[in-house]
Amino acid sequence: MSGSDINRRDFLKFMGLGGVGAATLSGCDMPTTVTLEEGKEKVVAYLAPEEYAIPGIGVTFASTCQQCPSGCGVHGRVREGRVLKLEGNPDALNGKGLCQMGQASLQGHYNPDRITQPMARKNGALVPVSWEDAWKLMQEKASGATQGRSAWFTGTVSGHQSVLLAALNDAWGSKDHYVYEAINNAVGEAVNKSVLGDAAPAYRLDKAKAVLSFGADFLGTWVSPVHFSREYAKFRTGDRGVLIQVEPKMTLTGGSADLWVAARPGTEGVVALGIANVLLSKNQVDGKKLPQVALDVISQYSADKVTEVSGVPGDTLVRIAKYLKERSPSLVLSGESAHGHANGYQNAMAAMMLNVLLGNVGETIEASNSMVFGELKAKHGNSKAMLDFAAAADAGKYDVVFFMGANPVYTAPVHLGMAEKIAKVPFKVALSMFPDETTMSADLVLPLSSPYEEWATSVSPYQPKEAAISMSQPLMKPLSAETKSLGDILLSMLKYQGVKGYDGFDDYYAYLRSELNAMPGSVKAGKDNDAFWSAAVQKGFIKAPTKSGTLKVSVGDVKQGGYQAGGDYPMHLVPTSNQTMYDGRNANLPWLQEAPDQITKIFWDSWVEIHPKTAAKLGVKEGDFVRVESDQGAIEAQVYIYKGVHVDAVAVPMGRGHEEYGRYAKGNGVNPLKILSPAVDEKSGELATHATRVRISKTGRSEELPRLGGSEVQVGRRLVSTVSADVFRRTEGV
Amino acid sequence: MSLKNILENWSHYRRGHEEGGHHDYEHMWGMAIDLNKCTGCNACSVACYAENNLPTVGKDRMRKGQGLHWLRMERYWDEPEMGGDEKEYQERGGSFLPMMCQHCNAATCEPVCPVAATYHTPDGLNAQVYNRCIGSRYCSNNCPYRLRYFNFYSYYEESWPEPLNMQLNPDLSVRDKGVMEKCTFCIQRIRTGKDTAQREGREVKDGDVVTACAQTCPTEAIVFGDLLDKDAQVTKLWKAQEVELGKTKQDKSNGELRGYRVLEGLNTDPCVMYLDRVREA
Repeated sequence: MSGSDINRRDFLKFMGLGGVGAATLSGCDMPTTVTLEEGKEKVVAYLAPEEYAIPGIGVTFASTCQQCPSGCGVHGRVREGRVLKLEGNPDALNGKGLCQMGQASLQGHYNPDRITQPMARKNGALVPVSWEDAWKLMQEKASGATQGRSAWFTGTVSGHQSVLLAALNDAWGSKDHYVYEAINNAVGEAVNKSVLGDAAPAYRLDKAKAVLSFGADFLGTWVSPVHFSREYAKFRTGDRGVLIQVEPKMTLTGGSADLWVAARPGTEGVVALGIANVLLSKNQVDGKKLPQVALDVISQYSADKVTEVSGVPGDTLVRIAKYLKERSPSLVLSGESAHGHANGYQNAMAAMMLNVLLGNVGETIEASNSMVFGELKAKHGNSKAMLDFAAAADAGKYDVVFFMGANPVYTAPVHLGMAEKIAKVPFKVALSMFPDETTMSADLVLPLSSPYEEWATSVSPYQPKEAAISMSQPLMKPLSAETKSLGDILLSMLKYQGVKGYDGFDDYYAYLRSELNAMPGSVKAGKDNDAFWSAAVQKGFIKAPTKSGTLKVSVGDVKQGGYQAGGDYPMHLVPTSNQTMYDGRNANLPWLQEAPDQITKIFWDSWVEIHPKTAAKLGVKEGDFVRVESDQGAIEAQVYIYKGVHVDAVAVPMGRGHEEYGRYAKGNGVNPLKILSPAVDEKSGELATHATRVRISKTGRSEELPRLGGSEVQVGRRLVSTVSADVFRRTEGV
Repeated sequence: MSLKNILENWSHYRRGHEEGGHHDYEHMWGMAIDLNKCTGCNACSVACYAENNLPTVGKDRMRKGQGLHWLRMERYWDEPEMGGDEKEYQERGGSFLPMMCQHCNAATCEPVCPVAATYHTPDGLNAQVYNRCIGSRYCSNNCPYRLRYFNFYSYYEESWPEPLNMQLNPDLSVRDKGVMEKCTFCIQRIRTGKDTAQREGREVKDGDVVTACAQTCPTEAIVFGDLLDKDAQVTKLWKAQEVELGKTKQDKSNGELRGYRVLEGLNTDPCVMYLDRVREA
């Protein structure tokens, strides 16, 4: 080791600490950490390891996945101070399994493109600065915040971080907290609220005998996919339930449907009324649960009319109605492809009307129980927040805006001019793990620790029956000493503002401990503070008491608008969310880039899905590049041709086409959200993501499609064979 | 194996797998995968990447078929011969098939290896000895399921730039250029399970070993276990479906039972049983 200051003894000491020290950090009921930073000399050798840190043996610690808003409980396997693998926490409410996004979230934690230190804009470029300088800059520039001219723009937040954020906004006199999620169920929630008086009731897939879903991809990206996957498994066993999926492009859920129905985008409500019409006229379903005005509207939607508008054949409507009638209780859901239109609210209302007509409310749609700790509940996002923020930023309402967990510069359509509007804010602070588009347009970047390096609590937005506060604990020592958790940054800001009541806390961990100490005795179940904390961290969550709710039923207006032909832009653009890239946040994870899309099996790039008839008309074959053009711009990608997309639809997956966001994401694929036309759902104000009309043309370029597998069919071999549900019920039914 | 042993036990070693083979198996690790529950979500495949140090190879190499997805989620569209029809739309959704090494008891890959890098273990596993492998790729040629993956390049530098390399599982190696690899049924987990059982002075019991794919499956479609353990869930499933090892055609009392093994007519004797996909009509 000539030329180096480290001698052998120091080196060994360091190695020992690297392993044991980090493992100690992640522990629950363990002695205080000894680290080199604290300058303590005590070295724990591997020869006498502590009980929980045996070299070569993995130990699991509970934490919470933050890769999507569902917030599933996880177990992280830690060995020699490194977290190696995540698995679902079998005890958690969302538990046991984990989706591919959760599995891949480790690559976010270990991502080579993570931001490792604060950065500030100097002469137009972001340059590394110290935390000291960063705080100084905040002091200088963010002083306007105190006059209420500040805002937070975040993704879903919950738990005690949410409490601190609210306290900070209070101190600043600003109530503006925009919570944005590109993938949300806001339109459905608005309808639920209006009809049932409960925005997020319990959808009991496990109790349903038939599920009719209008574009709700509950196995993929809708609300809480792992939770619904577990219920789906129950739904499919015993007296196996029937799944009918109506949507313009086959989603993961559509891939498992017994009957997959392609409806012209935006006409889902018409299809629902057509089904109601058949139920009332052919299946002797009693209409007394619906108001007369709704029955009058339904009577106008004869099969012929519905077929003309939606393209769904009359016999298909009859088949769906038969399933729903015979297999009671059923459950009707609606999701993004039905919601993302100017008439999205009406579509969702028509779907909910079917639930009322079929008597599902109270059977498969149950009142939710709400957690008593209201302030900890998830602030779940929608896209209206982004539109509102764009308008406010444009009007010069803010001196300083804080961004965290959302990337509006990437997800906003071109017509919103998001980058320009954000540029009008004099001082933009991004709290971020990655150099995404929004972060790179900020004036000050504060590096966040990963969800597996920090203390936090979170509450899943969808907890209809039982409620829990999910714990996040550091599974290992932070990879970079300069990163800080959201909780710690918020606490520092509160202290800096001189807000009362926070001075006593050294760090966010201390704050959390004290908050949990203060929980009511009923939650602690007789445990003392330390035992309660240990139990929470070991189990990974705290069961919270709930208040039970009730459902009312009042069906709103189910009238549907007319269908508009597209003119110069005859096709419908379907920007699809999927479990690989999600809203674009996963584009920096190589496992998910290389994971073939669940339906098309395409990897590492974007594609355009069209129907064989459309392809024939256009004269393109698989792999040809086509140009998809709206009145806002154009994108080009290779075509994938199959019969899982409506003849009039062009489906392009969301999530690729980043201009920033690290080596795996940047310059890879196209972003269909960019070319959306300006349209919102008229009732809820949500961005109408599926309302854009496009035309499609050949470019002449062609290349082999990056797709897994050679043959699309089994060529007669019994690789996957199929039996009828009757056979299944005879042999395995109850 | 001494010459004496071979001469004395000649008839034992000549016994085909249909008669139980010449192995005295300690375990027979196997699976049951219910395609009625499988949604094709691909979580199993990514879990396998995380557990088994699988490199990502990038778009061009993936396109050439050089991806190292030990567990790949195949998707097929219905065709007229398989009960589909010529309708305008794909009315019955897709057919999803999670495919990993089938750990055949009469594995076609094993006898063709010139250096015995792939062989059958007393656990019933089709094992691959990386440092014995010379990369002839005969095994891959001979696998009817196309489930063996070759390292055409060294991927470790490109695939795990720092600090991504810190995620690598130290329980198994990172493979280098020129070596064949494939699903091991998470042999490192099997070994841990057996070691733990031995330390605790007991037999390995059902649930001690769960593969990464089975653990993560959100619908619990994958069940893993020891087919020699009559109390194991997987054994019960095989029994209920009347699927037996050592056969090229299952003789079932009820022809409607859903269990089958992929391409079992080839006499590969796979240890993975699938249960038919189910559709309403």
